[in-house]
Amino acid sequence: MTTLAQSKNDTVGRLLNPAGRRKRLLVLIRVIALAALTAVALATPGFLSLPSMLSMLTTMSFIGCVAIGMTFITLSGSLMSFALGATLSVTTVVFMASLPLGLAGALLVAFAFSALITALQGFVIGYMRANPIIVSLAAQALIYGFVTFATGGRGIYPEGGETDILKSNLGVIPGPLAAFLLTVLIGQFILSFTRLGRHIIMIGSNRRAAEAAGIEPWHAITAAYAFAGICTAVSAVLMAARYASGDMEHGLGCDYHAISAVLVGGTAIGGGEGSALRTLFGALIIAVVQGVLLLNGFSTQMQYLIVGIIVLAVIALQTLGERR
Amino acid sequence: MLQRVPTELKQGSDHRRTVLDVSGISKTFGAVAALDDVSLHLAAGEVRALCGENGAGKSTLVKILTGVYRPDSGTISVGGQPVTIDDTRHAQELGLAFVSQELSLCPHLSVLDNIWLGSIKVPLLHRRSQFRRQAREALERLGAAHIDLDTPAGTLTIGERQLVEIARMLTRDARVLILDEPSATLSDLEIERIFAALTALKKDGRSIIYITHRLAEVFQICDSVTVLRNGRSIGTHPIASLDRAALIEMMLGRSFEEMYPESSREAGEVALDVKDLVIPGKVTSFSVTVPKGEIVCIAGQVGSGAVDIINALAGLVYDASGTVVVNGRPMALGSAARALNHEIMLISGDRAEEGIFRRLSVFDNLVATRLSSYACGGVLDLGGLRRAARALAKQVGVDAGRLRSPADTLSGGNQQKLAFGRCLDRGPPGILVMNEPTRGIDVGARADIYAIMRKLCARGYAILMTSNDLEEVVGLADTVVTVYRGRQVNVHGRQSLSMHRIVADIGHPLESSTEVQA
Amino acid sequence: MSALTRWLASPSLRPFVLLAVVIVALVAFDGAQGRILNRAILFSVLQQFATLGPVALGLGLTMILREFDLSIGGVMSLAGCIAVMFGAGTPAFGIVLALAVGFAAGAAQGAIMVRLNLSSVGVTLGGLLTLGGMAYVITENKAIGYDRMDIAMQVNDPILGVFSLRSLVALGIFVVAALAIGWTRPGRDVRAVGSDRRSASVAGVDTGKIIIGIFAVSGTLTALAGALLSYSLAAASPVALADALVPAAAACIIGGVSLSGGKGTPLGIAGGVLVLCFLRSGLSAIGLPPYMHDIVTGGVLVVVALLDAEDLQRRLFALSNVSSRHA
Repeated sequence: MTTLAQSKNDTVGRLLNPAGRRKRLLVLIRVIALAALTAVALATPGFLSLPSMLSMLTTMSFIGCVAIGMTFITLSGSLMSFALGATLSVTTVVFMASLPLGLAGALLVAFAFSALITALQGFVIGYMRANPIIVSLAAQALIYGFVTFATGGRGIYPEGGETDILKSNLGVIPGPLAAFLLTVLIGQFILSFTRLGRHIIMIGSNRRAAEAAGIEPWHAITAAYAFAGICTAVSAVLMAARYASGDMEHGLGCDYHAISAVLVGGTAIGGGEGSALRTLFGALIIAVVQGVLLLNGFSTQMQYLIVGIIVLAVIALQTLGERR
Repeated sequence: MLQRVPTELKQGSDHRRTVLDVSGISKTFGAVAALDDVSLHLAAGEVRALCGENGAGKSTLVKILTGVYRPDSGTISVGGQPVTIDDTRHAQELGLAFVSQELSLCPHLSVLDNIWLGSIKVPLLHRRSQFRRQAREALERLGAAHIDLDTPAGTLTIGERQLVEIARMLTRDARVLILDEPSATLSDLEIERIFAALTALKKDGRSIIYITHRLAEVFQICDSVTVLRNGRSIGTHPIASLDRAALIEMMLGRSFEEMYPESSREAGEVALDVKDLVIPGKVTSFSVTVPKGEIVCIAGQVGSGAVDIINALAGLVYDASGTVVVNGRPMALGSAARALNHEIMLISGDRAEEGIFRRLSVFDNLVATRLSSYACGGVLDLGGLRRAARALAKQVGVDAGRLRSPADTLSGGNQQKLAFGRCLDRGPPGILVMNEPTRGIDVGARADIYAIMRKLCARGYAILMTSNDLEEVVGLADTVVTVYRGRQVNVHGRQSLSMHRIVADIGHPLESSTEVQA
Repeated sequence: MSALTRWLASPSLRPFVLLAVVIVALVAFDGAQGRILNRAILFSVLQQFATLGPVALGLGLTMILREFDLSIGGVMSLAGCIAVMFGAGTPAFGIVLALAVGFAAGAAQGAIMVRLNLSSVGVTLGGLLTLGGMAYVITENKAIGYDRMDIAMQVNDPILGVFSLRSLVALGIFVVAALAIGWTRPGRDVRAVGSDRRSASVAGVDTGKIIIGIFAVSGTLTALAGALLSYSLAAASPVALADALVPAAAACIIGGVSLSGGKGTPLGIAGGVLVLCFLRSGLSAIGLPPYMHDIVTGGVLVVVALLDAEDLQRRLFALSNVSSRHA
C-alpha cells in the first residue's frame, strides 16, 4: 500500500514542508540579530571596560534572580506572576525588621516568608485551577495593603552594619552576580535533572496529558511557585543590604523586567518549553542592550522603550515555526 | 462478491442540471495525501451519500467544499460557474451549507442567536421578528418546537444541539446541503423528522450530500453513493444498483483480513472487572469484564457515555463510582495516579489534548510515566532513562535516532505509537484503556497500531477501547459491548458479531429507553 | 421564562445586588453620621467612575472575547501624555490625537495576534512595555503640566450636582456599548467568538475582524479615559496611570465577566465599577485609610477567582466525600 510506505517517509516530508522552512528562517533571524548586537556592543567605546561591565552585570543580577523564579512559573503553564515585585519589596521589609534575630535568623525568616507567600498562591492556582493572572493581581493588592497597614507606609532603615557582608564580592565577582549565577545553576539543575523539574515542564506542556500520566499537577505547581519565592528572596536580601533599607519601592516594575528577561531568552509564554539558562541569556541580552544604549547617550526612557519593542518582536517571532 | 455490475454515474442524472462539479481535487498534509484526484458531480434534487471508513478523506473533502481548506489542485464549479472557495463566508454566498460532525454551537449564546450566527442574511440590527419566526419554523420542521429560542445553547442535550445545527443549515436557504454524520446523536423519531425535512428540500430542487457510517440510512434516503477509500474516489453508483455487501466491499477494498490481524484465541483470567459504574449525568450502571489477552470494544455513538467510561477507568473522572477490580485488587476511582499504580494506562485518540506533550521530545514522551522508577531522592538517572527510551522506541517501531526531536514533528500515527511505547515494560502486563485510538490516523499507521495491539495481547495485556468506526470494531474486537445513552445494551462475542447488530443496538435500544437523569 | 424574569435572574444584575449590599454595609458602619448618603460622595463616586469605567469596559470586552489586554496601563499613560502635550491650543485636538493613538495601538496588537495566531497575554505584555516606554520617551520621564486650567475645570465642573462632563461621557459610553453588544450583529458575534471561537468560525463569523476590532475599541476607550483624566488633573505623568490593571480586572470580575469568555455585559461591568468606586469613596468617607481599599479589592479578587476556579466542583466533591466517610 503506497500510503503505508508514505507514512514511514515522514522525515523527508518534514524537511520539505513549510513549517521546517519557517523554523530555519527563525534560527537565521536570531543568529543575525545576535551577531549585530555583539558587533554594536564591541564597537561602542567604553563597553569593554571592566568596571562598566561589572556594574551592568550587578544591576542585571537583581532582576535576574527574580527572573529565574518567574521562569519556573511560566514553565508550569501559569503565564506569569504580577506579585513577585510586591513579594520582593515586602521581603526586604521583613528581612530588615527581623535583623534583631541576627543575620542568620533574619535570612531564614526572609526566605521562609517569601516562599510561603508564593507557595500559597501556587496552591490556589494549582489545586483549584484558579486563573493565575487574577490570583497574582489579588496577591499584589493584598501585599501592598497589608504592608502599608503594618509599617504605616514607612520603610525600615536599620542602623547597624550586620548586612554589610552581603555587599561584599566573591573574589573579583560582585556578590549579586555570584548569587545570580548560583541561582541559575540550581534552577537549571532542578529543571534538567530532577523529577520535579520534568514534572513542571510536562504540566506546562499539556496539563491533561500529565494528569493522565499519573502526575498530580498541584504538587509541582506549588513547588514551582515556592522556588520562585526563594529566588525572589535572594534578590530581596541582597537589595536590602545594598540600599540598607527595607521598603516597598524596591520591587516596583520588577515583574515586567523579569518577564521580559524570560521571554527574550526564548521561554514560551504558554509554558512547557524553556530553561533557566535561556533566562540567563535573556537577562544578558537586555543588560547588553541597555548598556549599549546608555553608553551611546540614550536616556533611560529610550532604553525602556527599546526593550519593550524587543520583547514584542521576540514574542511575535517565536511562534514563527509553530502554532499557538 | 458483487452480483451485478454497478452502473457508474458520470454527470449526475442526465435530465437534471449539475449543481456541483468537483474535478481532480487533491490535498496533502505533510507527507500524507488526504485526497488524491477526487471527482464528484451532483445534480439538482439529488441526495448523494458519501461513504468511506475513518481517514478515507470524507471530512477533508467537505472542509474543502465549505471553504475551511483550499485544495492543492483541481477545480470546483457551482451552478456551472468555476469558483475558488475563499472562506466559509464565501461558501455560504455560493449557496453551500453544512452541518459538521463536531457540533459548532456557542454555548453562551441563545438558540436563536446560534441559528442565525454567521448567516449572511442578517443585517446590523439583528433582533427582528422575521428571524425569530423563521427560526421557529425551522425547528418545527425538525420536530424540535419544544426548544426555547432564548435558552443558552449550552443547556441543551447533545441531540437538541444537533437539531439546532440542522436548523441553522435550513435557514441558510442553500442549494447544496452537506451533513456530516448527523444521526450519531439522535433518536429514531428525530432521524425520521430530519429525513422528512431533507425529502422536502429535495423536492424543492436542493441537493444534499449525506455522510454516514450507518448504511441503513444510505439505502433509505439517498439516490446515489460515492465511496472514498484512502483518499481516492472508488466510484459513484445509484443506490438501486447496490446492496449492503457490495457497498461494504467498496468501502474496505479486499484488505479487511489484512487490516485486522488474527486474535490469539487464548483468553486468560479476568484482568479487569467493572461492576455498576455510574457517572452522574452520563452513565447509569455499566459493567464489563475484560480477560487477559482480549480486546473488548465498547461501541456507542457520541453522547452514549462510552468515552466517559474509559476516562473514568483511567481515573480522570472525579465523580465516577462503582466497583472495579484489577487483577484481583480492588481499585477506587477518581485518581489517575491510582489507576496507573494498578497498571491501567490510557491511550487517547485526542492526542493533542490528552496524550502527547507536543513540544517535548520523543524521549520525554516515552519516559513520562516512569520518572519515579529512575529517581533517587528526586534526582533522575538520565542514562538509565535514555536506555529505556531507546528500547521502547524500538518495540513500537519509532526511529530511535529521533529521541531528541519534538514529538509534534512526528506524524499522527507515530505520535500514537509513542503513547503505546509509554505503556510497555512497566512490570507485569497491564490494562490498556483507549478512546478511539486510531482517530485521524492514516491507513498505513493504523495497520501498524493494530499489529502492536495484538502483540500486546499475546503478551498478556488486556485492552478495553471505544471506537466510532464500526468496521474497526467488527474487525478488531473479541467482544463488543454496545451502549446507548449511558446504558449497556448488549454483549456480543466473536461468533455473534455483525455490524448490523451493533448498529441496531447503539441506535435503537432493545428496552424502552430510560434516559440518564442529568 | 418571560423576558422580565430572565432579566432579573441574569448575572448582569448581581453586581448591583452587591452594590446594594456594599451601600447598606457602609451606611451601617457610618452610624447615622450622614457621611455616606450625600451628594459629595455620589459626585466622588461618579468622578472615579469616569476614570475607571471606560478602562474596565475596554478590558472587559477583551475578557468577554476570552483574551486579556495587559496593555491598558501603557495606553492610558501614553494617551494622557499625548493629550496634554498636544492639546494646549485646541483641547479637542489633543483628545482626538490621543484616541487615534489608542485605536492604533489596540488595532496593531490585535492584528499581530490574528496574523501570527498568538495569545493575547504575550502580545499585550509587549505592547504594555512598548507603549509605556513611548510615554516615558516623549515626556522625557517628567510630569508635564497642562496650561489650560479652564479646560481642567470644565471637565470636572459639577453638572446637576453629581455629574461632570467626564462622568457623563463615561456613562454615555456604557449606554452605547450596552446597545451595541445587546442589539447589533457584531455585538452578538463578539460574544460568539468569546464563547467558542472555533464554532463561530465554522458558522461563518470573521473572527479575525472581531478580535482586531475589540482590541482597537479597548485601546480607544482606555485612551479616552487617560486623556480626560490628564485634562482634569491638569497634568500628565508617565508613571501615574500605569497601575490601572488591578482595579479594572476587579471591576470586570465583580461585574460578572468570566475569565473563560462568552459571559459578561457592559451593564454588569458598570455595576462592578460602581461597587469598587463606592467602596473607595465610602471607606475613606468613614475614615478608613487607603490601604483598606487595596485589601478589600484584593480580597474580592481572591474570592471571585476561587468561585471561577475550574476545579472548584471537583475539590468540593472530594471534600464532601471525605467528610461523609468520616461522618
